[in-house]
Amino acid sequence: MSQAADSGLIHTFFNADIVRQTSPMVMEAVGQTIAIGVLVIVAGILLGTALATWRFHTQSRVLRALIVGYVDVLRAMPPLVILILVYFALPYVNISIGSVLATFLCLSVILSAFIEECVWSGIMTLPKGQMEAARSTGMSWWQSMRHVILPQALRLSLPQITNRCIAAIKNTALGSVIGFAEILGSAQAASSDYANPTPLTLCAILYIGLIYPLVLASRYLEHRAGIR
Amino acid sequence: MQKKIILEAVDIRKDYGDLRVLNGVDIRVREGELVSIIGPSGSGKSSLLRCCNLLERPTAGQIIFDGEDITRDTVNINRVRQNMGMVFQQFNLYPHLNVLANVSLALRCVGKLGKAEANAVAMEALTQVDMAHKRDAFPGQLSGGQQQRVGIARAVALNPKIILFDEPTSALDPELVSSVLAVMKSLRERGMTMLVVTHEMGFARDLSDRVIFMDGGVVAANDTPDVIFSSQGNERMRSFLSRFLNER
Ligand SMILES: Nc1ncnc2c1ncn2[C@@H]1O[C@H](COP(=O)(O)OP(=O)(O)OP(=O)(O)O)[C@@H](O)[C@H]1O
Ligand SMILES: [Mg+2]
Repeated sequence: MSQAADSGLIHTFFNADIVRQTSPMVMEAVGQTIAIGVLVIVAGILLGTALATWRFHTQSRVLRALIVGYVDVLRAMPPLVILILVYFALPYVNISIGSVLATFLCLSVILSAFIEECVWSGIMTLPKGQMEAARSTGMSWWQSMRHVILPQALRLSLPQITNRCIAAIKNTALGSVIGFAEILGSAQAASSDYANPTPLTLCAILYIGLIYPLVLASRYLEHRAGIR
Repeated sequence: MQKKIILEAVDIRKDYGDLRVLNGVDIRVREGELVSIIGPSGSGKSSLLRCCNLLERPTAGQIIFDGEDITRDTVNINRVRQNMGMVFQQFNLYPHLNVLANVSLALRCVGKLGKAEANAVAMEALTQVDMAHKRDAFPGQLSGGQQQRVGIARAVALNPKIILFDEPTSALDPELVSSVLAVMKSLRERGMTMLVVTHEMGFARDLSDRVIFMDGGVVAANDTPDVIFSSQGNERMRSFLSRFLNER
């Protein structure tokens, strides 16, 4: 009896046949998801760091308020809402973008808001003397930022940055709503095609494979920073 | 014949909002001189020093450095600061960089030296402060005295015309003070021009060419250490000095 249940479980969730048949489709999605995930992380970190730097640099209260507003709004809105708005509303102003580009843009912008906040708090944590010491040696504001302030601010906020990057990768799944063939969407399609949830199991394993390297990389960087 | 004036503050005023912390300060430092600034807490010593390299903008007055009025808007302050080192009470080393990189960073960014060349200059400076053996250590692994000597090397490496010191030994445990003072003494013997805010009265008395006593945002006395420490000065200065002299 229990043997029958076991084989039923395996047949349903770990069906080798179905893995064989659906994996080409799902693996194609893995490629797309990795490509978009990497691009989102790169764009989000660059944009977020640039925004935090700008907020630190500017003397204009208006500009500072605009950056804070951007960050707060994007952090408050559910990513799915942003995605749907961008994808379905932009055509009305005669801008139409594909689902891949829409996913990339939305996730990058959302990630940039979170990264801005992480980097900003890192900058605020640093003693004022760091910038002063760098400036006192004749380094320009930008040079001081690049070589003294930002490396420390990024290091301080590395754990939060990693968390946000993981969230961004998981959010690629939202792309399926607007027809971007990423991992979860493809797995879902495959599992309904074959009336079997095995592709979803495969999908879970793939996400772990995707995200775990990120966790390891961040742990390695933290460890290296910790030695100092 | 008197040596040429390297740094001159002319009628410096500094306000923080409604609070006037410098009220018409004039000082002069000549080539090769060591000038000490002493005075009670809050008298504006740090503010004056920070006005000299424009970490703070003076509200009024001029800073003349090497014959040039650096308070004019057209002056490139980064170029000026390469020739005007500063050493901080809290050391302010870069914790993410090792000792060598702390000293060579500005040489590479500002002096536009290549890596090898910058490292060579940095090692020379580290040797002067007796820290060459710690080139690969990170600031967090050093004692306060060692950190401050690296801080001095960072300023020395740029080969400035003057170095400003803001209470370089005040954050140190007493037993570490002497190593830093020894380095400053050796710098003086090499002819480095120095402007030093300090609470080390022994240092001010024995090594200064002149001592400036600041009180309430003005220069209350400016004379040779002999005169300043012979208690001929005004009442405020005598009471300030007596506290230190009685400690001995
Ligand atoms: N950034 C600032 N904003 C407002 N007030 C300041 C600022 N920096 C200094 N002050 C005030 O200016 C006055 C002079 O400060 P300053 O640091 O120059 O004194 P100091 O002589 O160096 O004292 P200490 O011996 O304690 O270091 C103090 O009353 C201080 O509170
Ligand atoms: Mg001070």
